[in-house]
Amino acid sequence: MILVPLLLSLAFQQPDGRLEGHVPAAALPGIQAAIAKAVQDSLPTEPLIEKALEGGAKGASADLIVAAVNTEAGRLRGARDLLRHAGAPAPYSARELVSVSIALARGVPEPVVTRVVSAVKDSLPGFALHAVADLQARGFQPDSSADLIIAAVGAGMSAHRLLDVAAAAEREVQRGSTRPQALARIKSILPAVPPQPLPPGAMQGAVRPRKPATP
Amino acid sequence: MTAAGEPSDAEVVAQVLAGDAEAFGVLIARYEGGLLRFAARMMGSRDAAADAVAEGLVRAYRHLGSCRDPARFRTWVYRIVANRCKSHLARRPVGDVSLDDAPPIAAPEHADEGVDRADQLERLERALAMLAPEKREAFVLKHLDGMSYEEMSAVTGARIPTLKMRVHRAREALLAALKEQS
Amino acid sequence: MKNELDPRIHRALDGELDPAALDAGERALVARLDALSRSLSAVPAGRSVAHRVMAAVRRPLATPIQRFRRWVTSPQPITVSLRPVYSLVIAVLLAALLWRTPEGPKPVLGAEEGVAQFVARFPEAHSVAVVGNFNDWRPGATPLSDDDHDGVWDARVILPAGQHEYMFVVDGERWVPDPMAGRYVDDDFGRQNAVLLVRPHRTQQ
Repeated sequence: MILVPLLLSLAFQQPDGRLEGHVPAAALPGIQAAIAKAVQDSLPTEPLIEKALEGGAKGASADLIVAAVNTEAGRLRGARDLLRHAGAPAPYSARELVSVSIALARGVPEPVVTRVVSAVKDSLPGFALHAVADLQARGFQPDSSADLIIAAVGAGMSAHRLLDVAAAAEREVQRGSTRPQALARIKSILPAVPPQPLPPGAMQGAVRPRKPATP
Repeated sequence: MTAAGEPSDAEVVAQVLAGDAEAFGVLIARYEGGLLRFAARMMGSRDAAADAVAEGLVRAYRHLGSCRDPARFRTWVYRIVANRCKSHLARRPVGDVSLDDAPPIAAPEHADEGVDRADQLERLERALAMLAPEKREAFVLKHLDGMSYEEMSAVTGARIPTLKMRVHRAREALLAALKEQS
Repeated sequence: MKNELDPRIHRALDGELDPAALDAGERALVARLDALSRSLSAVPAGRSVAHRVMAAVRRPLATPIQRFRRWVTSPQPITVSLRPVYSLVIAVLLAALLWRTPEGPKPVLGAEEGVAQFVARFPEAHSVAVVGNFNDWRPGATPLSDDDHDGVWDARVILPAGQHEYMFVVDGERWVPDPMAGRYVDDDFGRQNAVLLVRPHRTQQ
């Protein structure tokens, strides 16, 4: 009977339902291979699928999409190695891996990322790394930025408040302080850094992203 | 049952249960096509099928820990979706099989095969839709999803002799539908 | 029954009998049913539900209170005959439970969700959408609006807490990194994505 094997082989060669029609067909085998390897390596697959969809939406060629997916997988592996080296307890969620990967992509040097991850290893590093990357993007030295954020963690500030610390340092510079002065000033008032308030009415009318329409 | 180099269903299930919710996407990718086609045959409507399959897959995720044999994830998730279809059908008024939003007719393998082939396929689709649900379910699982009778028994809860009878009657009904026209 | 097939044909189709043991006419029927199944199998599966499912997978389970509230406020196929006074009492209770504010209902956020505000100035645009890894990079999924036609487009979107990459798509074709984002990463496709960090809403009460 050829019917059963034929039907079975057709069923198990199906591409990811989200990708079909949204990436060039020629990219699908390469993407599937990268996803399968990620599962074998216990890496999250969602960032890879998102990268493929991004490439498809932006009109990239099949080769470029497959290369980007593999690059993303490489970044996730690098992030996992860094987290292990920093002593962060496994397993690592997709969110942790992506936050490390984005910090590195934003130019925070690897030793600085490792130091921050080590300092916050009992909680998710995303907010701390984001705050350091924000400071660096505004011209602060990465090592000094990390010192301030690590000090804030040591002063008992919760993860989401670390963004307030970075914003406060930036406001000090806008008031005329040099960057080293700004960092020192904010460090001296930890943990009493004023929070950034949510704009009034920010919650009203907020919606969840709609189910994407079929093309 | 996976292509060479791909993780098995059991490996993916283990990864999801270990905390990687995103890995569930691998299982969705593997099975949603077959599940959508199965559900579309059962529900007679693509939209209803999408609802039943989405609900079934979410249930499968939430109860993944109770999948006793992850190597047989496929039959387990088919069972969940089959039950969702039955549940939806039970709430639907009898005879409410809308062929207007039924799945599109299967395309002939070659574009130049002409009107006769398309007519034949349309007759088959209608004949399949007119089968009693349990016969339609059995035929689809056997011939379109390629399951063994053991797997079908796990999906439907019916005994193998009962399933064989349903499949046999379904085959006969479909052949009769083709004969009527010729 | 006139439509009954020879049991040998069924056994061959069930894989229990070698088709070579059948006569030509029977083998032709087996082949016909095989072809029929292949034809029926060729139907496209339809629109993927993966996005819906993964959105539900990522969302935390509702608390019992939230589930009760949803059950009470959503239509249920239940028919109950009541005396008019009981109908009035239940109507009053339901109205209280709905707790609608004058501005409209506030969405119920999960513990790990927050609100992202996207704002951009595109005075000549006819449409602006935000696309990112939270909506599978599909324009049309999350449009911004400019209700007062002053060229400032905005949207408030409930997203999982954490980092998200995104761009704006203007008039359905021009991809633009958010000029106000202040945080960017290369997208591996020759452009830059803006990076947004969404805080859990519970941390902003």
